[in-house]
Amino acid sequence: MSKGFQIAAGATLIALLMAWYAATNLAPGAAFTYYKSLDEFQNAADARAGKHSRVHGYVALGSIERDVAAMQVRFTVQGEPPHAQQGAPSALLPVVFGSLETPDLFKEGAEVVVEGQLVQTQDGGHFRADKVMAKCPSKFEGDPSADTRAASLN
Amino acid sequence: MSDLGAYALRFALLIAIAGAAIAIYAGTSQRSDWLRVAERSLLVVFGFVTLAMGTLFAAFATYDYQLAYVASHSARNMDLVYRLAALWGGQAGSLLLWLWMLSAYGAACVGFNRRRNRELMPWVVAILLANAIFFLVLLVGITDPFEKLPPGAVMSDGAGLNPLLQHPAMMIHPLMLYTGLVGFVIPFAFAFAALISGELGTAWFRTTRRWTLFAWLFLSIGIMLGGRWAYEVLGWGGYWAWDPVENASFMPWLPATAYLHSVMIQEKRDMLKTWNLLLIGLTYVLCLFGTFLTRSGVVQSVHAFAQTPIFTSVFLGYVLITAITFVSALLLRRGQLHSTNRIESYVSREASFLLNNWIFIAILGWIFVGTLFPVFTEPFGRRIAVGPAYYQSLLGIAGLALALLLLTGVGPLIAWRRATFASLRRQFLFPGIALLASAGLLLLVVGERLTVYALLAWSLGGFVTATILQEFYRAIRARARKGGENPLQAFATLLRRNQQRYGGYIVHLGAVLVLMGAAGSVLNEERLENVRPGDEVRIQDYRLRYLTAKALPAKHYGGAVARIALYQDGNALAVMVPEKRMYWMQEQPASIPAIYSTVSEDLYVILTAVEADGSATLKLYRNPLVNWIWIGGFVFILGTITVMWPHPRRTTESSAQ
Repeated sequence: MSKGFQIAAGATLIALLMAWYAATNLAPGAAFTYYKSLDEFQNAADARAGKHSRVHGYVALGSIERDVAAMQVRFTVQGEPPHAQQGAPSALLPVVFGSLETPDLFKEGAEVVVEGQLVQTQDGGHFRADKVMAKCPSKFEGDPSADTRAASLN
Repeated sequence: MSDLGAYALRFALLIAIAGAAIAIYAGTSQRSDWLRVAERSLLVVFGFVTLAMGTLFAAFATYDYQLAYVASHSARNMDLVYRLAALWGGQAGSLLLWLWMLSAYGAACVGFNRRRNRELMPWVVAILLANAIFFLVLLVGITDPFEKLPPGAVMSDGAGLNPLLQHPAMMIHPLMLYTGLVGFVIPFAFAFAALISGELGTAWFRTTRRWTLFAWLFLSIGIMLGGRWAYEVLGWGGYWAWDPVENASFMPWLPATAYLHSVMIQEKRDMLKTWNLLLIGLTYVLCLFGTFLTRSGVVQSVHAFAQTPIFTSVFLGYVLITAITFVSALLLRRGQLHSTNRIESYVSREASFLLNNWIFIAILGWIFVGTLFPVFTEPFGRRIAVGPAYYQSLLGIAGLALALLLLTGVGPLIAWRRATFASLRRQFLFPGIALLASAGLLLLVVGERLTVYALLAWSLGGFVTATILQEFYRAIRARARKGGENPLQAFATLLRRNQQRYGGYIVHLGAVLVLMGAAGSVLNEERLENVRPGDEVRIQDYRLRYLTAKALPAKHYGGAVARIALYQDGNALAVMVPEKRMYWMQEQPASIPAIYSTVSEDLYVILTAVEADGSATLKLYRNPLVNWIWIGGFVFILGTITVMWPHPRRTTESSAQ
């Protein structure tokens, strides 16, 4: 076997192993992540049925309630940034995050991605988030220093 | 005054272009007088770039908000030190810093090689100038630090710097990192020069050995400083998040470390010539690529700067051209790069070093794929990012790191060419026993909280430490018997006479401590507690009593600070003061943790929130062994300095140095 052949065979073997590893161990939900906009989420049947998903939106102004006794934070997510909306927001999603530990950047108007599932209760449904990620509101010079902080329950 | 800086850069660009052309001519015509001209042009470029840096520093110091860059990265409420450091807080300034370092390295290289390497120097100078030209073109044409705001837009105060960067570690982190990343241009230039000139012996890497170690040392320091900053300022309890920009600085470190090891094989056994050239080429290309990644927003990150599409294409083009030209030169010369020896046995030092190299490259590949995954998946519809599990699972980087740990113990002790059973037994009996003893002790003491990774990391750590101790012990004993030196004298002599080997052992020891400290995270504890004044929280045998929270005194930031009394076994240890800051100008919050550090663990407290009802929500972490990471880092640095230390006596022994 020539050296070139050995190297090629070795490299192919390693590439195959990595591909196998990627395919078997990194299924969506475990390591990979992608999110839906609020509109997409509310139109997706499987999300409505309670599938674990990630939703992107903005924290509605005045909607944050920190419930110390219950150790949870409740807020509402809307589809457009509050400062850019015209009139009332089109879609709203009530969210309950089961921890007081929200990320630093989490506040009214912040861009967020929440991860969890829709749960149905008597008084309508809410989104039970087990992870909240907040982004820095973009600054005047358009510096997308994506200051993204996350808080999760585990 | 800033006009002076702008003109200086433009002039430097002209000189660099002329100098590069002259250097190429000097190389092809073998004219040493023209080579001197080219070398001097590099010095002139350094002078003008230094002038430009000086004027930009002055602009920051004197609140010159006419300059768009100064206005957007500093403010009147910043201390002078931070205003000066703000120079490298944004895109254009950090590129200027890179250029300054590049020209400084170039000037130093020219100085040190006044009477050496004359066949290689024309090409070295040409390559250094070519790199400088690229950065000058960027600074003059695309991101100009001296760009002025239109007269109506000049404000009386600036926008300020991201408050998270206003920390001592962050001030010097870019300096350390650039000293490392930029420094690899020197061995790269010599490697490229060797390919162009045909001087393909060991000269090119022997003459750059200290340069490479120097760059590698500072890259290592820069990476560790970044981790320490993240731990102290970002307030999430950890020090490494596999963020794309963190990975960008770590990726070049891997082939650089592989290179430092495999050149030893080329020196001793005249093998791996092509491989070594590839490694240094890969290292430098990754340095450039890493800085591209940080700036281009190609992957989302906490660190990424703003940029324009033209910048992205130009920079990427530069990285690709560098890679393609280097590989082409390598292919053209492949006929002259055959080894005279082959690997004779899998049980040999050569094989261990080669395996070590493959593992470094495998780890590099893993991180590369993970970092750029969103870019790879974008054409298929959605940008998908990998999560922490990708980097942390045992059947991946963690497992590879353990294999590397094993090799750190085996490699230096195993015989060259072919290890016999007798030599293996002689070398590895004691360390083998240490390995089993460590494992047994761990299972007994730590028991079921032990994960497979931690068990292996700590046992192998014991194994490697035993190999190092054995080596020192045997050598010191031999010197004591032969020359009658006492142990301390013998130790010093070893570090002086055989610095590469024994200094290298100290570096390995440092790396082992870092890995063992990091493995302590399997025993981490974290709790979220809501407390009223007077309430106590217990964690292990610590007792924390929440006293009060107060508003921070008004500065350019406000917020709250909590006061928490810390006791252990009834002894009052400290008052911990975690802060939750809000930087007014940027509307940016920051959680500054309070950390109580001991050799065995850290108690890390974050003030998550002061609630409306007056209670405080605290996040507590207990991080065992975390300080062994920083201690290991210091040992690592000391070891590298030992390896690098110039000894006057050695000039006769290593003439090509």
